[in-house]
Amino acid sequence: MARRNANATALSERLSPFQKVYLWLVAGFILGPFIPLIIQSFAFRWAWPDLLPSTWWLEQREKSVLPLSWDYVISPYSQVWEATLNTVFIGCAVTVICLIICLPAARVLARESFRGKPAFEFFLSMPLIVPEAAIGIALLMIFIQIGLAGTYTGIIIVHLIPTIPYMIRMLTAVYQGLGRDFEEQAMILGASRWQILRMVTLPMLLPGVVAGALFTFLVSTNIFLLTFFMGQGKIITLPTLLFSKIAGGTLDASAAGITLVVTVPGIILLVVTERFIKEEAFGKGFGN
Amino acid sequence: MKKTLLTLSLLGGLVTSASYAQDVEAFRDAVTSGSATWEEIQARAKEEGEINLYYWGGSDQINIWMDRFAAPGLEAEGVKLNPVRITGTKDAVDLVLAELGSGKGLGEGSVDAIWVNGENFATLKRQNALFGAFADKLPNSANIEWNADDPRALLNLRDFGVETNASEMPWSGQQYVCSVNTARVAKEDIPSTFADLKGYLEANPGKFAYVKPPHFIGNTFVQAAIYAHNPDGNGAVPFQNSIDDLGAAELARLITPGMEYLKELDGLLLGASGSGARYPEDPSALNGLFLNGEIDFSCQFGLYGVAIGLRDGTYPEGAEQFIFPEGNMIKNKNYLVIPANAPNPAAALVMANYMASVEAQASKLEVAGMPPGIDPWRLSEEDVAKLTAASPGFVGITQQELDANTAPDTNATLVDVIEATWLEYIERKSTDPIDVIVERAVANLN
Repeated sequence: MARRNANATALSERLSPFQKVYLWLVAGFILGPFIPLIIQSFAFRWAWPDLLPSTWWLEQREKSVLPLSWDYVISPYSQVWEATLNTVFIGCAVTVICLIICLPAARVLARESFRGKPAFEFFLSMPLIVPEAAIGIALLMIFIQIGLAGTYTGIIIVHLIPTIPYMIRMLTAVYQGLGRDFEEQAMILGASRWQILRMVTLPMLLPGVVAGALFTFLVSTNIFLLTFFMGQGKIITLPTLLFSKIAGGTLDASAAGITLVVTVPGIILLVVTERFIKEEAFGKGFGN
Repeated sequence: MKKTLLTLSLLGGLVTSASYAQDVEAFRDAVTSGSATWEEIQARAKEEGEINLYYWGGSDQINIWMDRFAAPGLEAEGVKLNPVRITGTKDAVDLVLAELGSGKGLGEGSVDAIWVNGENFATLKRQNALFGAFADKLPNSANIEWNADDPRALLNLRDFGVETNASEMPWSGQQYVCSVNTARVAKEDIPSTFADLKGYLEANPGKFAYVKPPHFIGNTFVQAAIYAHNPDGNGAVPFQNSIDDLGAAELARLITPGMEYLKELDGLLLGASGSGARYPEDPSALNGLFLNGEIDFSCQFGLYGVAIGLRDGTYPEGAEQFIFPEGNMIKNKNYLVIPANAPNPAAALVMANYMASVEAQASKLEVAGMPPGIDPWRLSEEDVAKLTAASPGFVGITQQELDANTAPDTNATLVDVIEATWLEYIERKSTDPIDVIVERAVANLN
């Protein structure tokens, strides 16, 4: 946020008033929802029409028998830590498997032409069209029979269903942008196949791969319904934990705290990869 | 050679699983017939080592109690408790039925026990998905009244009118209690009858809402209104029969005045002057409305709801309980049930026994505000004192007042019909007469 402000002051000379208002609105829409969440997470009792909580958590902290708000969130009772580990583990596994499946597939789709290719490409997008609930219930019946329900393997498999179509589309675009020229040139200069892959193809693909991986990871960490079906409540991830906390439609202090925690993996990942993607992937990878 | 090995190992697998199934079956029969000794059950539970308890995980207090008290308590018995938090009890019931449907029988499922009552228990029973009669055969069963001659045993023998046959262990006893925000309502305006409530809402339109059926907390409000408007004037009495005994026409006659009252009330509820009455989906949404002063009264199960709500900030400072509706405050119990395909049945029995102990009941009462499910007259004076000391206490009412206004639950087979009638008559604003709607609902059930 500090950096955003610094940028804003540096730019302020060059921006018209309309542009400034527009920027503030965008920032407000992105950051605005976090403000009541942060306040709520520190509140003990916050009722209409009070602008701020009438009682704060810290005032009640010593009196309470049970852990309240952040004390609850960071205690093992909230299961936040367990859910975070599960989410990150499943997200990483899904991303790696998805890459292994999609890299060769994207290469073929980008470079070869074969009979029925448009139909095949449409077929690959089908999982995005069929509602998740329909896939989930049908798969649950099958997974129960073969013993995959309630296991990490089962969850990772269902997470591949909505992520593969995205990943394939992204990687196909990257491969199309890459062209064969560079690889052929390396071949002419006497590079082996392995050297070409390692020193030419992968480095040029990398920005696209990172973008695809980031996207897959974020999609996987946000899947609620399929995880809920397959995990059978035994394997909890951040979305299922959050759902069970806020399904009632009210957000108490501990639910607000958990909501804030849920946004953390995504924010960290975005910050880490931000520069990389901005400069590499969107600069070169998709630019043809 | 490889093939033979494979066949052999496959065969071996089949044989062990077959003998395992026989073994679990023998164990179940020994338990339900009462011939298994407690030492045998305990030894087997230690071998099984763990138990998966599925329960509604929407309350921080109950979650903390499970992790901080129940888990260590069971660890002392050599059993690891896996408390599985779910958002709706029906999810666990569906899981059991789905597993049974795909051929996962005794010892092969994934759910060892579920916290249930009412329709969910009735569903399990109807689908033949119960482990069997265990609740009266454990050491701590002595804390519960099983003698059918004692009228107080009714809550242990019947769950929403459905016979429990000891296939679920009473865990907590609740009563439907309403709370008022005394900062907003003067003492003399607090209603004690449904007519009073309507009068209050005519003067203060929109200041009340009840949870939407088919949520059981909404169903209970509807039932209380129906009891109070029973044309024969005998309250809950006829509603203890099943739909087969009562018949659709008679049920329609009995519920018509109550339904008509609720229809009139619909126009006075929260949001009725705008886009139509707004019914909160569940108790936490109701709590939110109550805390924000959008409604002046909040009705739900929770003898210690106000005490606990004041402790954790979910209730407004002026919240107090009051007696409403006079003579028709529905009381019931909730239970721990073992499904027919429990993977660790012996550990589930040890868990059920632990949950019926005075220690577990007292800490549950103190930490989570859940009233005891064991019966005080079966306990020693010392144990009763322990429970009394653990109670978070009532706010604004007394035990005597509560006892004087108790009513039993509605038979589970009628609950479905009444719920369908409410949805049709009030939610969808059907103009058909009530007896037609009831008849249709009954036909749809069969």
